[in-house]
Amino acid sequence: MKTPWQVMTGGDWLVVLFLLGVSLTGIIWIATAPAGSRVVVISGEQVRFTAPLGQPRSVVLDGPLGQTRLVIDDQGVRITESSCRQKICVAMGPASHTGDLLACVPNRILVRIDNPDGKEAPYDLLSR
Amino acid sequence: MAWNRPLIIVLLAVLLALTWWRLQPEDAEIRRSRLIMGTVVEIMAEGLESSKLETAVDAAFAEIARLDKLLSVYHQDSDVSRLSQSDNGSQVTTETAEVLALGLDVAQRSGGAFDLTLGRLNSLWAISDGARRVPGQKAISAALRGIGPTSLSLDGRLVNKRMPHLQIDLGGIAKGYAVDRAIAVLKQHGITSAAVNAGGDMYLLGQRPQRPWRIGIQHPREKDAVLETVQVSDQAVVTSGDYERFFVQEGIRYHHIFDPQSGFPARDCQSVTIIADSVALGDALATAVFVLGPETGLQLLTQYPRAEGLIVAADGTLHASPGWAHYQVAP
Repeated sequence: MKTPWQVMTGGDWLVVLFLLGVSLTGIIWIATAPAGSRVVVISGEQVRFTAPLGQPRSVVLDGPLGQTRLVIDDQGVRITESSCRQKICVAMGPASHTGDLLACVPNRILVRIDNPDGKEAPYDLLSR
Repeated sequence: MAWNRPLIIVLLAVLLALTWWRLQPEDAEIRRSRLIMGTVVEIMAEGLESSKLETAVDAAFAEIARLDKLLSVYHQDSDVSRLSQSDNGSQVTTETAEVLALGLDVAQRSGGAFDLTLGRLNSLWAISDGARRVPGQKAISAALRGIGPTSLSLDGRLVNKRMPHLQIDLGGIAKGYAVDRAIAVLKQHGITSAAVNAGGDMYLLGQRPQRPWRIGIQHPREKDAVLETVQVSDQAVVTSGDYERFFVQEGIRYHHIFDPQSGFPARDCQSVTIIADSVALGDALATAVFVLGPETGLQLLTQYPRAEGLIVAADGTLHASPGWAHYQVAP
């Protein structure tokens, strides 16, 4: 009588190798993903939007004072336009490290860089 | 395909592994941010079930919001507003009295470099509200009339004002006090590892898993640079700098930390970071040291044996208290 391994066909082995390959790729991808890879936007105490830090995009968010424009590019994430009076949020420039925060207090918009993969960052919080 | 084929077993094993992986409880750590006290307040907590962490963090935010209503100049019926509106003083809550007692102590020890009575000067410059103009000398002198460590006195919960026009502003200490109280609430809920950060005034409770908290200190002149990293546990870290709220006019930087003697922004430092046992104390000391400058500031810190400081002087040189090196993380 043939053992179970002896009944494996070439196609079976291909399927097994494919599954192993997919698993290994996933593990390597998770292990090497860049730290601080997610932008989280909070408004009105609710998470309104999340996006990978590595994907360039522009987002317009509505707040009580009007619109705030957020840009994600190779420098990180920054607020480029805001309806608030002082524009302190625009002057803050880009944020790019895990734990960095940007905020438009008058327009109630908060932007945080998160690290969902839990990778070791050089620091937990920034004192400024 | 026969059921005894190993392929089926392999596929089942993969499915089981994926299921096991998905069912693992996530690390019990939550991070929540809200806009309170005119700034971003962020709370990280870990070590309990998520639902218990959520309850504790909500309670901590509620405590900060409650204190904001007592201590803010922006609430018309706050203790601080009522005190400013009164002619001779008024009765305040226990919490406000605690803040005033600590603030007056630092004010006296610093020779008035830290001052709780700069309400009129802050309103005149209005830098925190976005104003971009230098007030006239006459107006500044008028705003400074009658201020100082002896202009207020505390008798239990009764606050006496020496001059009716004195305007109280606890902006240099209230956020720190609120963070301390939020930490107390988290402890009451059984949390042993947490961070509460109100616009850079932070307390680090306990440890991260297997190591102390690591705190980066913002470089005052390079936006994306970290000056140093420190490791702390059960301590406050507070930074005051001239780079957060300021404007430049004719090449001069005007920021929001005022020297009570001149009525103009203090000139001797770019930033001051304090490590202390409480955020309220760290908050007050950071302002006082910033106003006093590196030499006198470090002398002030000798009165607080459990507080350490790192000062970036106006010329960019670094000055640290003797115990600062204990907290530094090697680059």
